[in-house]
Order: sequence, then structure tokens, then C-alpha cells
Amino acid sequence: MSGLELKKVCKSYGAVEVIKDLSLQIESGEFVVFVGPSGCGKSTLLRMIAGLEDCSGGTVEIGGEDVTDAEPSDRGIAMVFQSYALYPHMSVRDNIGFGLSLAKTPKAEMNARVEEAAKILQLTDYLDRKPKALSGGQRQRVAIGRAIVRNPKVFLFDEPLSNLDAALRAKMRLELTELHANLNVTMVYVTHDQVEAMTMADKIVVLNKGVIEQVGKPMDLYNNPATAFVAGFIGSPQMNLLEGAAARKLGAEIYGIRPEHIDISRESGLWRSTVRQIERLGNDAILYLDVEDVGSLTVTTDGQTDVVIGDMLFATPQPQNEHRFPTIAR
Amino acid sequence: MPTAQIEKKPRKTSGSPYPLWFFLPAGVIYGVLFLVPTFASLYFSLTRWNLFNSTFIGFENFLSFVQEPFLIKGLINTVIFAVSTALLKTIIGLALGILLTSNIRMRGLLRTIAFFPILVSTIGIGITFAVMMHPTRGIINVSLELIGIDGPGWLTDPTLALYSVAFVEVWRGVGLASVIFIAGLVSIPRDYYEAARIDGATKWQQFKRITLPLVQPATATVMILSFVYGLRSFELIWTMTKGGPGFSSDVIASVIYKQYQAGFYGLSTAGNVILFILIAVMVMPLVAYFNRREVDL
Repeated sequence: MSGLELKKVCKSYGAVEVIKDLSLQIESGEFVVFVGPSGCGKSTLLRMIAGLEDCSGGTVEIGGEDVTDAEPSDRGIAMVFQSYALYPHMSVRDNIGFGLSLAKTPKAEMNARVEEAAKILQLTDYLDRKPKALSGGQRQRVAIGRAIVRNPKVFLFDEPLSNLDAALRAKMRLELTELHANLNVTMVYVTHDQVEAMTMADKIVVLNKGVIEQVGKPMDLYNNPATAFVAGFIGSPQMNLLEGAAARKLGAEIYGIRPEHIDISRESGLWRSTVRQIERLGNDAILYLDVEDVGSLTVTTDGQTDVVIGDMLFATPQPQNEHRFPTIAR
Repeated sequence: MPTAQIEKKPRKTSGSPYPLWFFLPAGVIYGVLFLVPTFASLYFSLTRWNLFNSTFIGFENFLSFVQEPFLIKGLINTVIFAVSTALLKTIIGLALGILLTSNIRMRGLLRTIAFFPILVSTIGIGITFAVMMHPTRGIINVSLELIGIDGPGWLTDPTLALYSVAFVEVWRGVGLASVIFIAGLVSIPRDYYEAARIDGATKWQQFKRITLPLVQPATATVMILSFVYGLRSFELIWTMTKGGPGFSSDVIASVIYKQYQAGFYGLSTAGNVILFILIAVMVMPLVAYFNRREVDL
């Protein structure tokens, strides 16, 4: 049993409330991703789980045990930092074994555990190098190695891939997902990148201004966003969200339709529009349309489309994929 | 293509973005104020000279300086003074640096107070402390008397005088040391300490395994600066004890000054050259040692 439960936790700095009465249940072995824009409190929440920030109220339970006032090292967690936090004066071996050496683990056992972690992460050849002599991806792996050797109940990741380039990020995403499958431990992962959230998570927690907007499986969030905020945050390119008269005409305060759920035609349709810009991605093309009385509309279409800038097109939302939200987006 | 032409053009000064003549003003100043006096003093140390003329006498000055009866005592005192002040400034400076980077109240005020002695002239400090350390009327011994302790003659006891001056030198220099340490300490990322906390490091382990190795560039700077300053220290010793009582707190610089006062200009110049070589010989290995251990953050 290594689940995690937050019960009515809150955090404020002076008069500023960063986390408001937040409750969340994370099952044992789950890969949970906290996602949200900068300043939504996701990193603060992770640091509260780690014990690096005190809770202003509420309780944190790990493996059924109340750890709200426990030291970070007594919580059975390991954390991978955005900066990796690798000690520059220590070799990869010493970095990975740092926690073990603090705990005065016998040398033979320490070496065995460090080498096992290095093997999992393909770092065996680099054990005697300093972090400076490693690439970004390798440093990332050392940081993960340092977490693995502690045998934690819960892994915490604070935007671990944000310092890597796009190709490496995609590769590390896959490696982390596989690592999770192999180790079968609870992982909590913070990111502002909805692609990371969608691809890696068993469960996504969308945070906004210190409160949970929605919790659910990635595809549930994509198919049935609870609020306009979630709708706008999950999915790429972003969902079209119409407000005002255009939305009311379609029976909602906020009307949402994803770019991939709009059909285009040269002959007829709901919205008459002009093509303002085209982004060709190869397999897909993203059209930016100007629609009279509605505004700007993003549409995803086939990459081989012969549409050019300035073309006149009709755009029609697929009725089965429409979203209607009652309140204005926060 | 213009860009290709620019790339082909060979660069005259490798590694520097500036043309050579940019360095001229600094070079002239350095030459006139440093190189010329250095080589002039090298020459004059081989002569018997006064303001108007000089006679070349070879290494005679060096020979008589080395035979100076109190030179060995002065040499030992110099090393004791330099080593003890450098070590104490480093240790106390680091401790103050850590205190003044922690979350204490009135941190800004405390930093200013720690730095304050730097702003006072060394001569002023020397005179003030000499008055404070007066055996019967000084505030230190008067205060000690109030609690029933018979204070020693801080500057009049030959076994104590050098250490009393060293104490004042530490007081004077520790502010600068702590400022250098503060700069070094704040450049260590906070993540390192948080990662260590998660790994279960105690405060002492964090200090030993993270702070100490990573603040090492600052340690090296403080050590080397204080050591060099200690080796050529003069003002405090001269204002507080004049090398006395007797020759008990003489250092090389005060021995040189006494010869200069007595009119042996060539001799004192030779002493300066010896001091210069001594500093170089003692400091070079120290610099090399610290450079080898330097860590990039």
C-alpha cells in the first residue's frame, strides 16, 4: 500500500492563498500528473507532498500514514528536480549513492544498489564521470537514479523534462513511462506541458489558481472537459472557445469545439470564413480562419490540403463533438 | 556572399573580442605604476643609494639583511601572524557568512555591522585598540577588573603582543571575508539542500558534503588574500606595538621599515625584494592547490 492522500490541504504565504482546501486521492502504483499554467500551485503542491513546504492546513498521508509534520526523508519519497540538483563536485556514482552514504549503508550494498540503478538507466559507463561531463538526458537519468536507489514509496517529479530539447523530451517521456511500468510504484509528476500529461498519465489533475479543476483519465479530460479552463488546457491545438453572442446563438455561455472536430468545405457550411494563416505539420495542417461575427477559429485538416491563404471556406462543427460550458473561463 | 568572407578573415587576437590597442591605456598604467617600480627596486636593492645617487654593490645588501640578528624572529613572527589571521578570518568569516545568509532577523543591519571595520582606516583601528588594550587604563582590562580578573598586558607582554595584534587584524578583516563568503554561499543553488534533505542529510552533513566543497572558490579567495595580507602586514603592528616590546612582535615589514628609518635605503629595498620573493614562494603552491580543487557550479 503506497497510495497518497491529500485531505483539505491549503497553503498561504501571508495573505496570498496558493492552495485552497485541496483534497485528492492517489492510488498505489498510479502515474498522476499535475498540470496547469505557471503559478497555479502545482509545484507548491508537490513540494508539500515532499515536505519541503509546510501545509498551512489539512493533512498529507502516504501509504496510509499521516506524514503532514514528518521530515522529507521520513516520508518514503524521492524527488527529481527540474534543475536535477546534481552535486557538481561528486561523480555520478557518488551522486546516485549520496542518500545511501548518508544512511551509512555498507559499501558493498551501496555499490550493488548504485550499479543496479545505473544498469536500469544505462549509466554504467558513466559512473565515474562528473555531472559536467554528461549530456542533458544523461544528467536527467542520474537524477532519476538518485531517486531509484532510495526505494521510495512515491516518486515525485518537478517538471523534469523542461530543460531538454524536444526530441530528447519525447524519448524521456517514453523512458519514464516504461520505468513506471517496470518499477510499479506511485509517481506524481508536475508539468505545464499538456502533451506530457496526456501521454504519460494514468490520471491527470488539472490545477488552476490553487484549486482542482478536474481529475480524470487523459481521454476523459479530452472528451468530457468539466470546465472551459480544462477544455482550453487539454488538447493541442487548443479548443476553440467562443463567448458572447456567437456562443449564445449556439445555446451556451461558452461554446467549445476542437480544431479536429470542424469540417471544412468550399461549398456550404455554418460559418463563412477566410483563411488567415496556414501551418503545415506534414501529416496535419492547421488553418487559422477569420469568421465574421465569431472571430478567429482554428481548424485541423489533412496535411495534403490544397487550401491557401486568402481562400474562402465554410466551416461546420461536428454536432456530436460540441462542448457547452455555463460560466465564463477563469 | 558577405558572411562567408567575414568567416574567412583570420582573427588576429585569439580568444579576445577586442583589438590590441584597447589594452594600451591599462598597459601604460600597469607599466608605469607597477613594472617600472618593480624593476627599479630590483636594481636599487643591488646598490647603496640616497635621493641623489647610487653605487652598485652587488648582493651586499641581501647578505647584510639576511645577517640581521632579528630577521629570523621577524620571519617566524610574520608566518605566525599570516597563518593565524588567515585561518581565523576564514573560519570566522565562513561562520558569519552562513549566519548572515540564514533567515535571521535584521540580516541587513547585521551584514552592515560585520562589514563596518573595512570602512575604518587601519591606522585608526590600531590607535583605538592600542588605547583599549592599555594594561591599566584600557577599557578591556578595566572591564575585566570589574568582574575580578586581573587582565594581562595585551601589548606589553612579549609573549602576548603579536597575538593581540593578530586578534585586531582578524577583527578588521573578517568583514571582508564574510562578504566574500556570502557571495559564494548565495551562489549555491537551494535545490542541492532540498535534495539533500530528502536524502536525509542532517544540517552538519549538508554543511560538510555540500556547503564546504561548493563554497571552496570563496574559501580559496579569502585564504589567499588574508595570507598575502598577513605576510606583508605592517600598519597595525607599527601603530600598536612598533614591533615591541623589544623585538617580540617584529615582522619582516617592520624590520624593513626600521632600516629605512635608519637611512639604510639599499638594505630596506633588498628586504622588500626578499619579502616579495617570500610571498610568491609561499602563495604560489597555495594558489595551485586551490585551482586544482576548483568546482564549477
